[in-house]
Amino acid sequence: MRETRLWSWHLLVIPIIIVLLGLHFAIMHYAPVFYGVSVEEARNFETMIERGKSVSQLVLYILLLAAALYHGLYGLRGIIRELPMTPALGKIVDITVICVGLFIFAFGTYVTWWTFSYPVGG
Amino acid sequence: MNSKKSTAYNNRLGIKGWVYAGKYTFERYLYLAHRLTGMGLIAYMLLHILETANRMRGVVAWEGLMGLFALPLFKMIEYALFAAAVFHALNGVRLLMTELGFFLGRPKEPVYPYSSSIKRHRPLTYIIMALASLIIILGGSSLFFP
Amino acid sequence: MSDKTTTPREITFRVRRFDPDVDTAPHWSEYRQHVHDGMTVLEALHQLKAEQEPTLSWRSSCRMGVCGSCGMFVNDLPQLACQTQVLHLGTDVVTIAPLPNYDNVKDLVPDLAPLIEKHAAVKPYIIYLDQIEIDSPTGEFIQTPDQREEFSQFTHCIKCGLCLAACPTVATDPLFLGPQALAQAYRYTADNRDCGMKERISAIDIFHGPYQCHLAGACSQACPKGVDPAFGIQLLKRALVLDSIGFGKKKPSVAKIMPLADVVKAIEEFAPPPRTV
Ligand code: HEM
Ligand code: HEM
Ligand code: HEM
Ligand code: SF4
Ligand code: FES
Repeated sequence: MRETRLWSWHLLVIPIIIVLLGLHFAIMHYAPVFYGVSVEEARNFETMIERGKSVSQLVLYILLLAAALYHGLYGLRGIIRELPMTPALGKIVDITVICVGLFIFAFGTYVTWWTFSYPVGG
Repeated sequence: MNSKKSTAYNNRLGIKGWVYAGKYTFERYLYLAHRLTGMGLIAYMLLHILETANRMRGVVAWEGLMGLFALPLFKMIEYALFAAAVFHALNGVRLLMTELGFFLGRPKEPVYPYSSSIKRHRPLTYIIMALASLIIILGGSSLFFP
Repeated sequence: MSDKTTTPREITFRVRRFDPDVDTAPHWSEYRQHVHDGMTVLEALHQLKAEQEPTLSWRSSCRMGVCGSCGMFVNDLPQLACQTQVLHLGTDVVTIAPLPNYDNVKDLVPDLAPLIEKHAAVKPYIIYLDQIEIDSPTGEFIQTPDQREEFSQFTHCIKCGLCLAACPTVATDPLFLGPQALAQAYRYTADNRDCGMKERISAIDIFHGPYQCHLAGACSQACPKGVDPAFGIQLLKRALVLDSIGFGKKKPSVAKIMPLADVVKAIEEFAPPPRTV
């Protein structure tokens, strides 16, 4: 694949990360400012589950997961592959990074889904 | 005669060439900081996804973890992460625009004293760094003194 | 008044030495010599060789910043020895080492072969697809001053390789094309007479291409000709992104040609003023 395509995505997902990570930080650090609850409250189990039960949270977390993983792992792969290595080893790095990315994405999606479908009251 | 076969000396700087910015420009230091914060963020994110998965082990496991994170040491780490994210994001916005050729001016005949795309967008660089410092300081104050 | 940048005085030169027939690693030698106002590092080396160290090796030719031979790591920055005045450095100890990121052949001589190979790899020449027109031209290419301005700056490259010595990516990645070659790739694709983007893609749209530039800007700082290779690379990225989504610079499949008859007319129109002697 043309490297240009891969790199374009590295940049294209940035607006998504800025908005969603900004939101994430707002919830986690500035809960008193934006939501009128304390930081501890924002992070306790019930609040977390409550948040996670909305469809928007489900979608947004999976989107953040995908965008930040792609952006971060593409960057990491670039850093690793700038080290001297044979093209064959470069391929192995690419494949490893793709596998790690897919695995973490699947796992994170599962966790988010678990929160979303957490039985009410139990 | 000496028996040593004549071979060139490998003068490639290696990782030192990433880390040591020496007498190069300000942007050369930003490159280093962007790379370090980028690596920090992706490392954090991978751990974070594993760590927040603890919620599946129930209330007790989760609250235990959050209790741990409320310790001063973790507050410091959290602040470092926040600062790294703010720097990376703002400097990233600068890179996003400049790496697509914006804010760099137009090509022109080199005449002494040379101008360069790096110098031409430096006001933007300074504004963005000032903004990042401001957010990091303000964010820190509300993090530590809610 | 004692201005450090013009007062003639004794300067200590710390010069990195390496003899491939004897040494396995480089070592430093120190020399002291008198430096006069206006003396370049290159002149200082010549004086050193003549008066103190006949075995000292370096590469230079034009002694006027044109040939690109005399790049060295002077006081921790890549510079042309012939364009750098010793007293302007402002230090009483001047360190001179061979350019980093190249193989060190001897003393201050770097092996610039990779630079030239990468330069050649990006097809640094105008690619014009109409072979019939090339073989039997019917006219001249038209290029307006504005069209030339698009890439003119990048034509000043003298292949001195200072930019690669400054580049942090080149420091680890031997396959990275580097600022010099990438800026030249842009210089040719931006030329309105060129239709070679398609042919260059296999050479430049690769991992070791423009995206391993992270805009550290060291190359543009080092460049002695004001080429600003970092700028060329960012413009190349933009051109590649636009090209990949079908918004590449709309170029006629052949550059516009001015028919020979018109050329003759134009020559008459813009004839030089009549001779006065
Ligand atoms: C918040 C908004 C963000 C912005 C605006 C942003 C912007 C950028 C940009 C423009 C680059 C490319 C720089 C270059 O050419 O090397 C980059 C690289 C990188 N980013 Fe981000 N980024 C953001 C968030 C993140 C996050 C959340 C992570 C981790 C999950 C991350 C990890 C990385 C890594 C590892 C690199 C590669 C650094 C390098 O090659 O030196 N970034 N970022
Ligand atoms: C110190 C700052 C942070 C805190 C306190 C924090 C806290 C949390 C918490 C409590 C959750 C569980 C979900 C919820 O409660 O809504 C979560 C999920 C998540 N966080 Fe963070 N976070 C922080 C920073 C980050 C950063 C920097 C990133 C991205 C690089 C990130 C990405 C995510 C993602 C993707 C999820 C969803 C995980 C999954 O799907 O399994 N967080 N975070
Ligand atoms: C047998 C007699 C001569 C020999 C063997 C000779 C040889 C050369 C050589 C090898 C060069 C370098 C060419 C290059 O840059 O590619 C050169 C350049 C030059 N020569 Fe001569 N030369 C001779 C006589 C002359 C004379 C009589 C003049 C002037 C009246 C002259 C003026 C120049 C000039 C001005 C240049 C510089 C050209 C440039 O900038 O490229 N040479 N010569
Ligand atoms: S771009 Fe500048 S520094 Fe690089 S080889 Fe050309 S003239 Fe030398
Ligand atoms: S000797 Fe030709 S550039 Fe210095």
